[in-house]
Amino acid sequence: MNSHILIVDDEAPIREMLRLALTRRGYRVTDVASAFEVESAVRHDPPDLIVSDLQLEDSDGLAMIAQLKKSHPNVPVLLLTGVFLDPEVVHGTLGNQITAYLHKTASLSKIMEEIDRLVREKQA
Amino acid sequence: MNDPTIRRVLIVFGLAAVAVLLIATVTVRNLNREAASSDWVNHTHAVLSELQSVSANLRAGEASLRTFVFGGGRTDRLATRDAFDRLEEHVGVLQALMRNEAQSAQADNIATLVGRRLEFANSILKENPAPGDADTVAKLARDNGLAAIAEIERAIAKLRDEQMTLLAERDRLSVIHAQSTRWTVWTGVAVNFLLLAGAVWLIRDDIAARKRVAAVLAEANDQLEVKVRERTQELATANEHLAAENLERRWANEALEHQIHYNQVIVNSINDAVFVLTKSLNISRINPAVVHLTGYDAPQLVNRPLNSIVHLASDSATPHEQLFDPILQALKEGRDLRDLPAETEDRLKRRNRVTLTVFPLQDGAKVVGGIAIVRPLHPLTSAS
Repeated sequence: MNSHILIVDDEAPIREMLRLALTRRGYRVTDVASAFEVESAVRHDPPDLIVSDLQLEDSDGLAMIAQLKKSHPNVPVLLLTGVFLDPEVVHGTLGNQITAYLHKTASLSKIMEEIDRLVREKQA
Repeated sequence: MNDPTIRRVLIVFGLAAVAVLLIATVTVRNLNREAASSDWVNHTHAVLSELQSVSANLRAGEASLRTFVFGGGRTDRLATRDAFDRLEEHVGVLQALMRNEAQSAQADNIATLVGRRLEFANSILKENPAPGDADTVAKLARDNGLAAIAEIERAIAKLRDEQMTLLAERDRLSVIHAQSTRWTVWTGVAVNFLLLAGAVWLIRDDIAARKRVAAVLAEANDQLEVKVRERTQELATANEHLAAENLERRWANEALEHQIHYNQVIVNSINDAVFVLTKSLNISRINPAVVHLTGYDAPQLVNRPLNSIVHLASDSATPHEQLFDPILQALKEGRDLRDLPAETEDRLKRRNRVTLTVFPLQDGAKVVGGIAIVRPLHPLTSAS
């Protein structure tokens, strides 16, 4: 069974490119545009990894992640956002909510490598 | 017909057909000769038989004639008549059997000699003498019968010898023809066998050559298929690589556009008037707060000097700063200027007191421009 990745991003082109790249690497992909859709998507098909933006149309991504962690504490989360975050903030303040952080200007191959690593760690 | 092997095989079969035709011709000719020879042999035997009959009936007739002369019996007379009649008949048959002038001459000679004897016998039989008639006995004694019979026998023997010689010659020719037929048939069979063997060899050689060509073609085809598969795999890999590169490029563009937009949103959200300046302090970009402050649109401000909009307060300028533009100097030196008292002049020529803060815009160690932030000291009435 291929690993399942849930993409949460309000920008359709971003979701489409991530879905294409992940599908080529053999992942099963679900993508949603809002925090509202996340809960039902996770309940319907629990993901092995969530790739989420910080700013969503209907919610703050961090709030959505905090809410999600209550019901699924072991699901790793990769925060993929255009907002530059201080590494100390990421590891300190956000460390208990997100597993990894990447800026959207990172190359797609680097993002895929990070996703592979997180999925491997989850499976291990 | 352009195939050389088919051409050669056809030539071989043509030669075999010619050989068969030759064998048939020679054999038929020899068979015809044999048939003719057989007819001639039969004829010769018939001649010999007639000669034998002539000789036998001559002797029988002569013997019966003498018995009749001396015995006078009716039976002897009839026997004599019968023997000479048969003699005459066989001589006639003998003459009829003759096939050339020389033989006919000999047969005629025999017929003449036999005729004389018949004439002598008929003369006695016609007289029908009494048994032991002296005149008849004397006539018979005067007759040189034995000599005549001997002459006839010699003539018969001569003709028989000639026939026997011819018969021997025919036998010899018959043997030769039989040998010729056997030789021709076996030679023809051997030639045909060799030709057929040659045809078989040609066909086998051709089949082997065709198999070799087919094997080479199959191998070449296999190699081609392998190359095509390899090339297809290479193209598929290259295509995947290109698709991945394309996706990577799209991602980079999207991320860049997103970042630019995000930065623009941040800058535009600031309530303070923000001017982006070139190294020579010309305005290259503004935020919406500048439009609100000055009443000028962005196209009216871009590429204008900052000091056409913002002036430092003269009372705050040192003598040195009055001689040199302090903002330009600070940018050259990479220094910040913070909260300097200044004034702005809007589109309606109204002056507003503000504070001016300038940061050098640095790309690494190099100053490429500056950021000027103008903050009003009092709430403004929009100039736009």
